[in-house]
Amino acid sequence: MTDQIAIHTDGLTKHFGDVHALVDLDLDVFAGEVFGYLGPNGAGKTTTIRLLMDEIRPTKGSATILGEDVREKSVDLRKYIGYVPGDLAMYPNLTGRDTITYFSNLRGGVDWSYVDQLADRLDADLTKKVGDLSSGNRQKVGIIQAFMNRPTVLVMDEPSSGLDPLVQREFQQMMREVAADGGTVFLSSHTLSEVQRVADRVGIIRHGKIIALEAVATLRAKGLRRVELEFAEPVAASDFSGIDGVRDLVIQNHHAVMSYEGRIGTLLHAASRNHTLVDMSTQEADLEEIFLTYYHDEENH
Amino acid sequence: MLANVFTKTIRDRWLGMFIGAVTLGLLLLMGMAAYKSIDLSIYDSMPAGFRNLMSIPAGASLGALAYGAIYTSYGALTLAAIAIPMGTGAIAGEERNGTIGLLLGNPVSRISAVAQKAAAILVVTAFGAVVLWLAGIGAPAALGETVTGITLVALCFAMFVNSLFYGFLAMAISTWTGKRGIGAGVSTGVLIVGFIGAGLFPIIPGWENVAKVFPWYYYASSKPQTNGIDWWHMSVLIIGIVLLVAIALIGVTRRDLRSQSVGVTIMDRLRANPRTAKIVERLVGSAQVSGIWMKSVSEHQGLLIVTVYVMLIMSLVIGPLYNVITGPVKEFGASLPPTLLALFGGGNLSTPEGFYQIEIFGMMAPAGVMIATIAAGSRALAGEEQNRTMGLLLSNPVSRSSVVMRKTVAMVVEGIAVGVSIFIGVWLGSIIGRLGMSAGNIAAASLLATLLGLAIGALALALSAATGRVRVAVYGAIGVALVSHVLNAFLPLNASTEGLTKWTPFGYYLNSDPLANGMDWWHGLVLLVLTVVLVGLSVVWFQNRDLKQKG
Repeated sequence: MTDQIAIHTDGLTKHFGDVHALVDLDLDVFAGEVFGYLGPNGAGKTTTIRLLMDEIRPTKGSATILGEDVREKSVDLRKYIGYVPGDLAMYPNLTGRDTITYFSNLRGGVDWSYVDQLADRLDADLTKKVGDLSSGNRQKVGIIQAFMNRPTVLVMDEPSSGLDPLVQREFQQMMREVAADGGTVFLSSHTLSEVQRVADRVGIIRHGKIIALEAVATLRAKGLRRVELEFAEPVAASDFSGIDGVRDLVIQNHHAVMSYEGRIGTLLHAASRNHTLVDMSTQEADLEEIFLTYYHDEENH
Repeated sequence: MLANVFTKTIRDRWLGMFIGAVTLGLLLLMGMAAYKSIDLSIYDSMPAGFRNLMSIPAGASLGALAYGAIYTSYGALTLAAIAIPMGTGAIAGEERNGTIGLLLGNPVSRISAVAQKAAAILVVTAFGAVVLWLAGIGAPAALGETVTGITLVALCFAMFVNSLFYGFLAMAISTWTGKRGIGAGVSTGVLIVGFIGAGLFPIIPGWENVAKVFPWYYYASSKPQTNGIDWWHMSVLIIGIVLLVAIALIGVTRRDLRSQSVGVTIMDRLRANPRTAKIVERLVGSAQVSGIWMKSVSEHQGLLIVTVYVMLIMSLVIGPLYNVITGPVKEFGASLPPTLLALFGGGNLSTPEGFYQIEIFGMMAPAGVMIATIAAGSRALAGEEQNRTMGLLLSNPVSRSSVVMRKTVAMVVEGIAVGVSIFIGVWLGSIIGRLGMSAGNIAAASLLATLLGLAIGALALALSAATGRVRVAVYGAIGVALVSHVLNAFLPLNASTEGLTKWTPFGYYLNSDPLANGMDWWHGLVLLVLTVVLVGLSVVWFQNRDLKQKG
């Protein structure tokens, strides 16, 4: 990752009638990074991407890619952008190869040896009609057309949907290679494990607003842990109510399972004040837990 | 309205039918108002055969003329044209949309789904007929006129049964094959060819019985508007309807349902065959994706080939047929006033040009070009949005205005292809029939028909650009074309409104009588400017709106 800004939004806002799909988004995505854009359905991820691709126009605010306004320079910019839309649809009567030929004609040509290389890596069949492909295989054609011109910026909305785990891994490797070469990947995803593996930073969006913008490593360093405690006698939720940093507490007779952010010694001390601690296990929380924890906090506020 | 398949289908379809029927009702009102100002005694002097051709009863009254002119042909054609997409959409439409699996994932059998869809088509079509009936009562009442000699209920019932036949024909074919395009193409072809055949063959001595092979004959030939319901004729259509529903029910159970898959075409087989692969690949494989306009044309190649073929053959056979029409019919044609002939598009049976005007250029030629241009214009932008491919297309370095322009090129190419087929057909027909028509005048009429079709296609493009909705573009363009055609026929009936025809696109196609007088460049220029303006508006509208995620 460098400090060169590849994607920049400034108060980017989109309203659909009374629905505020995106509110004052200020965001910088840097060259050489994979940026994971996370959020539940309807959070505003696709709206952001469609604004970046000039499919829809902002109610207010602006966005630039590679320093150029996405509205004014949209056509020029697309030479440098690879795009996989959400809920990908292509021309059902064309084969994968026809589809690639069509888009390459619109782009002034393509390196077919690279296309074949991408097809090999993703195990894609370009001879069948797109309409006859399974959703996963159709997705592979979409990914190939996004990568085929070696784009500087890749914008992808849920690109992994339908891909099997092996292909997903290869695809993640391809994204990392783009970032390693100085390119930028803007990756919208529900698949937290994928973002965790591939992204340098994540932005979490909810109700059209960014609620967290962190490096993956920083998120992990927050110290959120999954903790399971076993006691000699049954315990109650009230036994943990006064302990700071305890979240998502589940009591099951002798067991207490929770997410905990803080010093583990403080937790053990407080928990063993009224009960005999028999056993404990703890592990670093994955991004999903961190993600859910953030939402939990947001809902409570 | 979402209680079951039946009610949901009604919910999805009633509005289109309502708008169509109300438009026809308004046209009826307008037609009656126009007829109020003319001397009706001319109709009494017509030979019975000619009155039959025009659907006009003896002792014609105001109402009879208006019903005859508006309801029996325009009305029935429109109602049938609305029923056809209901039929094709029933099962094949759900397959195309990828929703059939979801629908049948519920405890609904295939047969039940088809039966409920069929019942809904029946109810919606009946609803359209009832609206027409109410408008048929309301129009003379609004004008303070009394209508005599018309059996309106019988006419509306006959239109209902007739439309149902075409709707179920479309449903049977597309449900059997799983392909909407085949269902729509075949049933539209049967409708148009039947409409022409059932009117044409009865005036050709010795060929009268050929008319009976066309379904339209069993609707129109008994003149339900004056003679009431001919149950023998109706029963032919009703038996046909029952058989078509049975075919749909059998068809949906006998085959694998399609899941947005596209199947294998003849071209695919030729591309896969090593002996033909090279040439076919060159012709259709790489060529069809060489650019936006070529790809757009290739998407409509099926419709285009059928339209070109039908227009060519129809235009060609009319020439030799002119020679077998009897003398008295020709002589009488010469005596009719021009205002009356305007109803036929200005044709006159006493000359070959007039005959061609009635049979081809009056309605079929512009309709043929419009089939191609409206299909191309409406789907150009809204079709890509509806199929969710526009975002991907525009992720390439092509501007929105460039997409509009290249799609316009595709529409122009398709319109010209149909126009050229009409020219060649008529020109050959004139040679074969030794009619001696001017090739230059045939070219002029074909060119003006093409320009009119392009103007209406550009309207479809503009509506598509403004709304992103295919249906709005298709129905809007067809509605304007229909109203324009009828206005152009009726406005000249009254001296005070005659000048208003310059506000209808059809006026710039027909009123200069290009088959007789040659090219009117001024009229051609008006149509061309109209097209250019509408394409310009398309660019502006498309550039300044959000793309739809689903049209």
